[in-house]
Amino acid sequence: MGVTAYGRVDFDFTVVTDNWRFLAEGVGVTLLLSLASGAASLVAGLVLALLRLRGPRWLRPAIVFYIDSMRAIPVLVVLVWTFFALPMVAGVTMSPFMAGLIGLTAHLAAYAAEIVRAGIESVRPGQTRAALALGMSHAQILRRIVLPQALVRTLPAFGSLLSVTIKDTAIASVIAVPELMRRSETVAGQSFQPIEVYTFAMLVYFVLLYPVTRGVDRFYRRVAHLGRS
Amino acid sequence: MTFDWSVVWRYRDALALGTATTFLLTIATMAIAVPCGIVVASLRLYGAAPLRTFATAYVELFRNLPLILVVYWAFYVLPIVTGVGLSAFATGLAALSLNVTAYNAETFRAGINSIRRGQLEAALALGMTRTQALRRIVVPQALRRVLPVLASTWVSLFKDTSLVSVIAVGELAYVSMQARAQTFRVLEMLTAMAVIYWLLGYPQAKLVDWIERRYVVTE
Repeated sequence: MGVTAYGRVDFDFTVVTDNWRFLAEGVGVTLLLSLASGAASLVAGLVLALLRLRGPRWLRPAIVFYIDSMRAIPVLVVLVWTFFALPMVAGVTMSPFMAGLIGLTAHLAAYAAEIVRAGIESVRPGQTRAALALGMSHAQILRRIVLPQALVRTLPAFGSLLSVTIKDTAIASVIAVPELMRRSETVAGQSFQPIEVYTFAMLVYFVLLYPVTRGVDRFYRRVAHLGRS
Repeated sequence: MTFDWSVVWRYRDALALGTATTFLLTIATMAIAVPCGIVVASLRLYGAAPLRTFATAYVELFRNLPLILVVYWAFYVLPIVTGVGLSAFATGLAALSLNVTAYNAETFRAGINSIRRGQLEAALALGMTRTQALRRIVVPQALRRVLPVLASTWVSLFKDTSLVSVIAVGELAYVSMQARAQTFRVLEMLTAMAVIYWLLGYPQAKLVDWIERRYVVTE
Protein backbone atom coordinates (compact mmCIF):
# COMPACT_ATOMS: atom_id res chain seq x y z
CA MET A 1 0.00 0.00 0.00
CA GLY A 2 1.49 3.30 -0.96
CA VAL A 3 0.66 6.43 0.92
CA THR A 4 1.72 9.02 -1.55
CA ALA A 5 0.48 12.18 0.13
CA TYR A 6 -2.04 13.42 2.64
CA GLY A 7 -5.36 11.85 1.72
CA ARG A 8 -4.15 9.97 -1.34
CA VAL A 9 -3.77 6.23 -1.11
CA ASP A 10 -3.17 3.48 -3.62
CA PHE A 11 -5.53 0.65 -2.86
CA ASP A 12 -4.35 -2.87 -3.46
CA PHE A 13 -7.16 -5.33 -3.01
CA THR A 14 -5.12 -8.39 -3.94
CA VAL A 15 -4.68 -8.92 -0.21
CA VAL A 16 -8.39 -9.65 -0.08
CA THR A 17 -8.45 -11.92 -3.12
CA ASP A 18 -5.38 -13.81 -1.93
CA ASN A 19 -7.04 -14.54 1.39
CA TRP A 20 -10.59 -14.91 0.17
CA ARG A 21 -11.01 -18.48 1.38
CA PHE A 22 -9.82 -17.60 4.87
CA LEU A 23 -12.17 -14.64 5.00
CA ALA A 24 -15.04 -16.60 3.47
CA GLU A 25 -14.72 -19.19 6.24
CA GLY A 26 -14.96 -16.28 8.63
CA VAL A 27 -18.24 -15.26 7.03
CA GLY A 28 -19.41 -18.83 7.53
CA VAL A 29 -18.61 -18.69 11.22
CA THR A 30 -20.33 -15.32 11.50
CA LEU A 31 -23.47 -16.73 9.93
CA LEU A 32 -23.34 -19.88 12.04
CA LEU A 33 -22.87 -17.95 15.26
CA SER A 34 -25.59 -15.47 14.32
CA LEU A 35 -28.17 -18.09 13.43
CA ALA A 36 -27.33 -20.37 16.34
CA SER A 37 -27.41 -17.62 18.96
CA GLY A 38 -30.43 -16.08 17.28
CA ALA A 39 -32.39 -19.31 17.40
CA ALA A 40 -31.27 -20.14 20.92
CA SER A 41 -32.07 -16.67 22.23
CA LEU A 42 -35.46 -16.80 20.53
CA VAL A 43 -36.36 -20.03 22.33
CA ALA A 44 -34.87 -18.84 25.61
CA GLY A 45 -36.62 -15.49 25.30
CA LEU A 46 -39.94 -17.15 24.63
CA VAL A 47 -39.52 -19.39 27.67
CA LEU A 48 -38.46 -16.46 29.86
CA ALA A 49 -41.37 -14.29 28.75
CA LEU A 50 -43.91 -17.06 29.32
CA LEU A 51 -42.43 -17.84 32.72
CA ARG A 52 -42.59 -14.18 33.59
CA LEU A 53 -46.16 -13.68 32.49
CA ARG A 54 -47.76 -17.02 33.27
CA GLY A 55 -45.28 -18.77 35.47
CA PRO A 56 -44.88 -19.06 39.23
CA ARG A 57 -44.99 -15.73 40.96
CA TRP A 58 -41.81 -16.23 42.95
CA LEU A 59 -39.83 -16.63 39.73
CA ARG A 60 -40.79 -13.24 38.40
CA PRO A 61 -38.30 -11.05 40.31
CA ALA A 62 -35.45 -13.32 39.27
CA ILE A 63 -36.41 -13.11 35.61
CA VAL A 64 -36.88 -9.34 35.74
CA PHE A 65 -33.50 -9.01 37.44
CA TYR A 66 -31.87 -11.11 34.75
CA ILE A 67 -33.46 -9.12 31.93
CA ASP A 68 -32.60 -5.75 33.44
CA SER A 69 -29.05 -6.89 34.13
CA MET A 70 -28.51 -7.84 30.51
CA ARG A 71 -29.77 -4.41 29.56
CA ALA A 72 -27.14 -2.86 31.80
CA ILE A 73 -24.04 -4.89 30.94
CA PRO A 74 -22.27 -4.50 27.58
CA VAL A 75 -22.05 -7.51 25.26
CA LEU A 76 -18.27 -7.27 25.35
CA VAL A 77 -18.27 -7.72 29.11
CA VAL A 78 -20.65 -10.68 28.94
CA LEU A 79 -18.56 -12.40 26.27
CA VAL A 80 -15.23 -11.80 28.00
CA TRP A 81 -16.62 -12.96 31.32
CA THR A 82 -18.14 -16.08 29.76
CA PHE A 83 -14.90 -17.05 28.05
CA PHE A 84 -12.38 -16.22 30.78
CA ALA A 85 -14.21 -16.23 34.08
CA LEU A 86 -16.98 -18.79 33.71
CA PRO A 87 -14.54 -21.71 33.27
CA MET A 88 -12.96 -20.76 36.57
CA VAL A 89 -16.27 -20.75 38.36
CA ALA A 90 -17.96 -23.68 36.68
CA GLY A 91 -14.89 -25.80 36.10
CA VAL A 92 -15.67 -26.31 32.42
CA THR A 93 -13.49 -25.56 29.45
CA MET A 94 -15.06 -24.16 26.35
CA SER A 95 -13.96 -23.16 22.89
CA PRO A 96 -14.18 -19.50 21.93
CA PHE A 97 -17.12 -20.30 19.67
CA MET A 98 -19.01 -22.01 22.48
CA ALA A 99 -18.29 -19.12 24.83
CA GLY A 100 -19.45 -16.71 22.15
CA LEU A 101 -22.61 -18.72 21.63
CA ILE A 102 -23.42 -18.92 25.33
CA GLY A 103 -22.61 -15.28 25.99
CA LEU A 104 -24.53 -13.96 23.01
CA THR A 105 -27.53 -16.17 23.73
CA ALA A 106 -27.59 -15.09 27.36
CA HIS A 107 -27.45 -11.43 26.37
CA LEU A 108 -29.94 -11.59 23.52
CA ALA A 109 -32.44 -13.79 25.35
CA ALA A 110 -33.18 -10.85 27.62
CA TYR A 111 -34.11 -8.66 24.67
CA ALA A 112 -36.06 -11.48 23.04
CA ALA A 113 -38.00 -11.98 26.26
CA GLU A 114 -38.96 -8.32 26.32
CA ILE A 115 -40.07 -8.45 22.70
CA VAL A 116 -42.23 -11.52 23.29
CA ARG A 117 -43.69 -9.98 26.43
CA ALA A 118 -44.61 -6.81 24.56
CA GLY A 119 -46.21 -8.91 21.85
CA ILE A 120 -48.26 -11.00 24.26
CA GLU A 121 -49.39 -7.97 26.23
CA SER A 122 -50.50 -6.26 23.03
CA VAL A 123 -53.17 -8.88 22.39
CA ARG A 124 -56.40 -7.58 23.83
CA PRO A 125 -57.37 -9.19 27.13
CA GLY A 126 -60.91 -9.47 25.77
CA GLN A 127 -59.68 -12.28 23.57
CA THR A 128 -58.44 -14.21 26.58
CA ARG A 129 -61.68 -13.56 28.45
CA ALA A 130 -63.75 -14.72 25.50
CA ALA A 131 -61.68 -17.87 25.17
CA LEU A 132 -62.02 -18.59 28.89
CA ALA A 133 -65.76 -18.10 28.61
CA LEU A 134 -65.76 -20.66 25.84
CA GLY A 135 -64.15 -23.11 28.24
CA MET A 136 -60.60 -23.17 26.88
CA SER A 137 -57.75 -23.86 29.25
CA HIS A 138 -55.00 -21.29 29.73
CA ALA A 139 -52.54 -23.41 27.82
CA GLN A 140 -54.95 -23.72 24.92
CA ILE A 141 -55.55 -19.98 24.93
CA LEU A 142 -51.85 -19.28 24.76
CA ARG A 143 -51.21 -21.75 22.06
CA ARG A 144 -54.19 -21.11 19.80
CA ILE A 145 -55.25 -17.49 20.39
CA VAL A 146 -52.60 -15.34 22.00
CA LEU A 147 -49.24 -16.56 20.76
CA PRO A 148 -50.07 -16.70 17.04
CA GLN A 149 -51.18 -13.08 17.08
CA ALA A 150 -48.43 -11.99 19.44
CA LEU A 151 -45.63 -13.59 17.47
CA VAL A 152 -46.73 -12.02 14.19
CA ARG A 153 -46.66 -8.62 15.86
CA THR A 154 -43.14 -9.19 17.13
CA LEU A 155 -41.70 -9.81 13.67
CA PRO A 156 -40.30 -6.31 13.06
CA ALA A 157 -38.68 -6.24 16.48
CA PHE A 158 -37.16 -9.67 15.93
CA GLY A 159 -35.86 -8.56 12.55
CA SER A 160 -34.15 -5.72 14.32
CA LEU A 161 -32.82 -8.15 16.92
CA LEU A 162 -31.43 -10.42 14.19
CA SER A 163 -29.60 -7.44 12.78
CA VAL A 164 -28.21 -6.70 16.23
CA THR A 165 -27.23 -10.36 16.59
CA ILE A 166 -25.17 -10.33 13.42
CA LYS A 167 -23.47 -7.12 14.49
CA ASP A 168 -22.75 -8.50 17.95
CA THR A 169 -20.98 -11.55 16.51
CA ALA A 170 -18.28 -9.12 15.44
CA ILE A 171 -17.68 -8.35 19.11
CA ALA A 172 -16.95 -12.04 19.66
CA SER A 173 -13.69 -11.35 17.83
CA VAL A 174 -12.22 -10.13 21.11
CA ILE A 175 -12.48 -13.65 22.52
CA ALA A 176 -10.87 -15.06 19.40
CA VAL A 177 -13.94 -16.56 17.80
CA PRO A 178 -12.73 -17.12 14.22
CA GLU A 179 -15.48 -15.13 12.60
CA LEU A 180 -15.11 -12.47 9.91
CA MET A 181 -14.02 -9.62 12.17
CA ARG A 182 -11.31 -11.68 13.79
CA ARG A 183 -10.06 -13.04 10.52
CA SER A 184 -10.02 -9.55 9.05
CA GLU A 185 -7.85 -8.47 11.95
CA THR A 186 -5.52 -11.38 11.30
CA VAL A 187 -5.18 -10.67 7.59
CA ALA A 188 -4.83 -6.94 8.20
CA GLY A 189 -2.15 -7.52 10.80
CA GLN A 190 -0.15 -9.88 8.64
CA SER A 191 -0.38 -7.88 5.43
CA PHE A 192 -0.11 -4.37 6.89
CA GLN A 193 -3.00 -3.40 4.62
CA PRO A 194 -5.76 -2.68 7.11
CA ILE A 195 -7.67 -0.27 4.90
CA GLU A 196 -8.37 -2.75 2.11
CA VAL A 197 -9.16 -5.60 4.49
CA TYR A 198 -11.45 -3.62 6.76
CA THR A 199 -13.16 -1.94 3.83
CA PHE A 200 -13.87 -5.40 2.45
CA ALA A 201 -15.20 -6.49 5.84
CA MET A 202 -17.47 -3.44 5.91
CA LEU A 203 -18.79 -4.39 2.49
CA VAL A 204 -19.51 -7.95 3.58
CA TYR A 205 -21.29 -6.91 6.76
CA PHE A 206 -23.35 -4.35 4.88
CA VAL A 207 -24.34 -6.94 2.28
CA LEU A 208 -25.30 -9.32 5.12
CA LEU A 209 -27.22 -6.81 7.17
CA TYR A 210 -29.01 -4.58 4.69
CA PRO A 211 -31.25 -7.36 3.31
CA VAL A 212 -32.13 -8.51 6.82
CA THR A 213 -33.85 -5.30 7.82
CA ARG A 214 -35.35 -4.72 4.39
CA GLY A 215 -36.46 -8.33 4.08
CA VAL A 216 -38.13 -8.33 7.46
CA ASP A 217 -39.97 -5.11 6.55
CA ARG A 218 -41.29 -6.63 3.36
CA PHE A 219 -42.19 -9.97 4.94
CA TYR A 220 -43.97 -8.25 7.80
CA ARG A 221 -46.04 -6.14 5.48
CA ARG A 222 -47.39 -9.30 3.92
CA VAL A 223 -48.27 -11.05 7.18
CA ALA A 224 -49.14 -8.06 9.37
CA HIS A 225 -52.86 -8.61 8.91
CA LEU A 226 -52.56 -11.92 10.72
CA GLY A 227 -51.63 -10.11 13.89
CA ARG A 228 -54.45 -7.63 14.02
CA SER A 229 -57.26 -8.06 16.44
CA MET B 1 -8.18 -22.08 43.36
CA THR B 2 -8.04 -19.10 45.66
CA PHE B 3 -9.62 -15.78 44.86
CA ASP B 4 -8.10 -12.52 45.93
CA TRP B 5 -10.77 -9.84 45.77
CA SER B 6 -8.55 -7.19 47.33
CA VAL B 7 -7.04 -6.62 43.91
CA VAL B 8 -10.21 -4.79 42.95
CA TRP B 9 -9.73 -2.40 45.85
CA ARG B 10 -6.08 -1.90 45.00
CA TYR B 11 -6.98 -0.90 41.47
CA ARG B 12 -9.87 1.31 42.50
CA ASP B 13 -8.19 4.48 41.23
CA ALA B 14 -7.65 3.04 37.78
CA LEU B 15 -11.19 1.70 37.71
CA ALA B 16 -12.54 5.09 38.78
CA LEU B 17 -10.56 6.78 36.02
CA GLY B 18 -11.86 4.24 33.54
CA THR B 19 -15.41 4.89 34.65
CA ALA B 20 -14.88 8.63 34.26
CA THR B 21 -13.53 8.09 30.75
CA THR B 22 -16.55 5.98 29.90
CA PHE B 23 -18.86 8.76 31.03
CA LEU B 24 -16.79 11.36 29.19
CA LEU B 25 -16.98 9.35 25.98
CA THR B 26 -20.72 8.91 26.34
CA ILE B 27 -21.39 12.56 27.05
CA ALA B 28 -19.08 13.82 24.30
CA THR B 29 -20.53 11.42 21.74
CA MET B 30 -24.09 12.44 22.53
CA ALA B 31 -23.09 16.11 22.47
CA ILE B 32 -21.91 15.58 18.92
CA ALA B 33 -24.43 13.02 17.75
CA VAL B 34 -27.63 14.80 18.79
CA PRO B 35 -27.06 18.01 16.78
CA CYS B 36 -25.57 16.05 13.91
CA GLY B 37 -28.51 13.67 14.01
CA ILE B 38 -30.92 16.58 13.74
CA VAL B 39 -28.96 17.96 10.80
CA VAL B 40 -28.85 14.64 8.97
CA ALA B 41 -32.56 14.06 9.61
CA SER B 42 -33.36 17.52 8.26
CA LEU B 43 -31.21 16.87 5.21
CA ARG B 44 -33.01 13.64 4.64
CA LEU B 45 -36.47 15.18 4.98
CA TYR B 46 -36.05 18.62 3.47
CA GLY B 47 -32.79 18.67 1.61
CA ALA B 48 -32.14 18.86 -2.09
CA ALA B 49 -32.03 15.51 -3.87
CA PRO B 50 -28.26 14.90 -3.67
CA LEU B 51 -28.20 15.85 0.01
CA ARG B 52 -31.14 13.60 0.65
CA THR B 53 -29.40 10.69 -1.04
CA PHE B 54 -26.24 11.36 0.91
CA ALA B 55 -28.12 11.48 4.21
CA THR B 56 -30.03 8.28 3.46
CA ALA B 57 -26.87 6.49 2.36
CA TYR B 58 -25.05 7.66 5.47
CA VAL B 59 -27.79 6.44 7.79
CA GLU B 60 -28.22 3.11 6.02
CA LEU B 61 -24.47 2.53 5.98
CA PHE B 62 -23.84 3.05 9.67
CA ARG B 63 -26.96 1.25 10.78
CA ASN B 64 -25.77 -1.83 8.93
CA LEU B 65 -22.22 -2.02 10.18
CA PRO B 66 -20.97 -3.47 13.46
CA LEU B 67 -19.64 -0.69 15.66
CA ILE B 68 -16.48 -2.59 16.48
CA LEU B 69 -15.62 -2.70 12.80
CA VAL B 70 -16.21 1.04 12.49
CA VAL B 71 -13.85 1.53 15.44
CA TYR B 72 -11.08 -0.50 13.82
CA TRP B 73 -11.68 1.08 10.45
CA ALA B 74 -11.58 4.57 11.94
CA PHE B 75 -8.36 3.71 13.74
CA TYR B 76 -6.59 2.78 10.53
CA VAL B 77 -8.29 4.96 7.96
CA LEU B 78 -8.90 8.30 9.68
CA PRO B 79 -5.23 9.20 10.13
CA ILE B 80 -4.62 8.60 6.44
CA VAL B 81 -7.75 10.29 5.14
CA THR B 82 -7.57 13.32 7.39
CA GLY B 83 -3.82 13.53 7.42
CA VAL B 84 -3.70 14.10 11.16
CA GLY B 85 -2.71 11.61 13.80
CA LEU B 86 -5.65 11.34 16.13
CA SER B 87 -5.39 10.04 19.66
CA ALA B 88 -7.11 6.76 20.39
CA PHE B 89 -9.72 8.65 22.40
CA ALA B 90 -10.49 10.98 19.51
CA THR B 91 -10.68 8.07 17.10
CA GLY B 92 -13.04 6.21 19.39
CA LEU B 93 -15.10 9.35 19.80
CA ALA B 94 -15.23 9.80 16.02
CA ALA B 95 -16.32 6.22 15.42
CA LEU B 96 -18.97 6.37 18.15
CA SER B 97 -20.22 9.72 16.89
CA LEU B 98 -20.52 8.49 13.32
CA ASN B 99 -22.50 5.49 14.48
CA VAL B 100 -24.81 7.23 16.96
CA THR B 101 -25.48 10.14 14.57
CA ALA B 102 -26.97 7.64 12.14
CA TYR B 103 -29.30 6.20 14.80
CA ASN B 104 -30.23 9.65 16.03
CA ALA B 105 -30.98 10.75 12.47
CA GLU B 106 -33.54 7.97 12.21
CA THR B 107 -34.94 8.86 15.61
CA PHE B 108 -35.30 12.53 14.74
CA ARG B 109 -36.71 11.72 11.33
CA ALA B 110 -39.46 9.72 12.99
CA GLY B 111 -39.92 12.43 15.59
CA ILE B 112 -40.12 15.28 13.11
CA ASN B 113 -42.51 13.28 10.95
CA SER B 114 -44.75 12.71 13.94
CA ILE B 115 -45.30 16.44 14.38
CA ARG B 116 -48.39 17.26 12.42
CA ARG B 117 -47.69 18.79 9.08
CA GLY B 118 -50.17 21.53 9.84
CA GLN B 119 -47.70 23.07 12.27
CA LEU B 120 -45.07 23.42 9.59
CA GLU B 121 -47.60 24.75 7.12
CA ALA B 122 -48.92 27.30 9.61
CA ALA B 123 -45.40 28.46 10.35
CA LEU B 124 -44.66 28.84 6.66
CA ALA B 125 -47.95 30.68 6.18
CA LEU B 126 -46.86 33.12 8.89
CA GLY B 127 -43.87 33.94 6.77
CA MET B 128 -41.15 31.93 8.48
CA THR B 129 -38.51 30.32 6.37
CA ARG B 130 -38.39 26.57 6.49
CA THR B 131 -35.29 26.70 8.66
CA GLN B 132 -36.99 29.04 11.12
CA ALA B 133 -40.08 26.88 11.19
CA LEU B 134 -38.03 23.78 11.89
CA ARG B 135 -35.84 25.41 14.47
CA ARG B 136 -38.55 27.21 16.41
CA ILE B 137 -41.67 25.08 15.98
CA VAL B 138 -41.04 21.55 14.82
CA VAL B 139 -37.76 20.42 16.32
CA PRO B 140 -38.51 21.58 19.89
CA GLN B 141 -41.70 19.53 19.86
CA ALA B 142 -39.97 16.62 18.20
CA LEU B 143 -37.24 16.71 20.85
CA ARG B 144 -39.77 16.17 23.57
CA ARG B 145 -41.31 13.26 21.70
CA VAL B 146 -38.05 11.49 20.99
CA LEU B 147 -36.70 11.89 24.51
CA PRO B 148 -37.46 8.29 25.49
CA VAL B 149 -35.73 6.96 22.38
CA LEU B 150 -32.76 9.25 22.96
CA ALA B 151 -32.54 8.02 26.53
CA SER B 152 -32.55 4.45 25.29
CA THR B 153 -29.84 5.35 22.75
CA TRP B 154 -27.84 6.88 25.58
CA VAL B 155 -27.88 3.61 27.53
CA SER B 156 -26.87 1.65 24.43
CA LEU B 157 -24.09 4.13 23.80
CA PHE B 158 -22.89 3.81 27.37
CA LYS B 159 -22.52 0.09 26.82
CA ASP B 160 -20.99 0.52 23.37
CA THR B 161 -18.16 2.66 24.74
CA SER B 162 -16.72 -0.64 25.95
CA LEU B 163 -15.94 -1.44 22.31
CA VAL B 164 -13.35 1.34 21.97
CA SER B 165 -11.25 -0.64 24.43
CA VAL B 166 -9.99 -2.58 21.42
CA ILE B 167 -8.05 0.47 20.29
CA ALA B 168 -6.66 1.00 23.78
CA VAL B 169 -8.85 3.86 24.91
CA GLY B 170 -8.63 3.92 28.68
CA GLU B 171 -12.27 3.44 29.50
CA LEU B 172 -13.63 1.00 32.04
CA ALA B 173 -13.38 -2.20 29.99
CA TYR B 174 -9.82 -1.47 28.91
CA VAL B 175 -8.69 -0.57 32.41
CA SER B 176 -10.29 -3.70 33.85
CA MET B 177 -8.68 -5.95 31.31
CA GLN B 178 -5.31 -4.28 31.77
CA ALA B 179 -5.60 -4.88 35.50
CA ARG B 180 -6.48 -8.49 34.78
CA ALA B 181 -3.39 -8.85 32.59
CA GLN B 182 -1.16 -7.30 35.21
CA THR B 183 -2.43 -9.21 38.21
CA PHE B 184 -3.59 -12.45 36.58
CA ARG B 185 -6.68 -12.13 38.77
CA VAL B 186 -9.05 -13.03 35.97
CA LEU B 187 -12.29 -13.84 37.79
CA GLU B 188 -11.95 -10.99 40.26
CA MET B 189 -11.27 -8.25 37.75
CA LEU B 190 -13.75 -9.44 35.15
CA THR B 191 -16.48 -9.84 37.74
CA ALA B 192 -15.65 -6.41 39.12
CA MET B 193 -15.91 -4.98 35.61
CA ALA B 194 -19.31 -6.61 35.12
CA VAL B 195 -20.52 -5.43 38.52
CA ILE B 196 -19.39 -1.85 37.92
CA TYR B 197 -21.11 -1.76 34.55
CA TRP B 198 -24.19 -3.22 36.20
CA LEU B 199 -24.13 -0.63 39.00
CA LEU B 200 -23.83 2.15 36.44
CA GLY B 201 -26.15 0.71 33.81
CA TYR B 202 -29.02 -0.62 35.92
CA PRO B 203 -30.05 2.79 37.28
CA GLN B 204 -29.72 4.27 33.81
CA ALA B 205 -31.97 1.58 32.37
CA LYS B 206 -34.52 2.21 35.12
CA LEU B 207 -34.29 5.93 34.44
CA VAL B 208 -35.03 5.26 30.78
CA ASP B 209 -38.11 3.27 31.81
CA TRP B 210 -39.26 6.20 33.94
CA ILE B 211 -38.66 8.65 31.10
CA GLU B 212 -40.66 6.45 28.78
CA ARG B 213 -43.57 6.39 31.18
CA ARG B 214 -43.39 10.08 31.94
CA TYR B 215 -43.01 11.33 28.38
CA VAL B 216 -45.28 8.94 26.57
CA VAL B 217 -47.24 10.83 23.97
CA THR B 218 -50.75 9.81 23.13
CA GLU B 219 -52.62 11.70 20.49
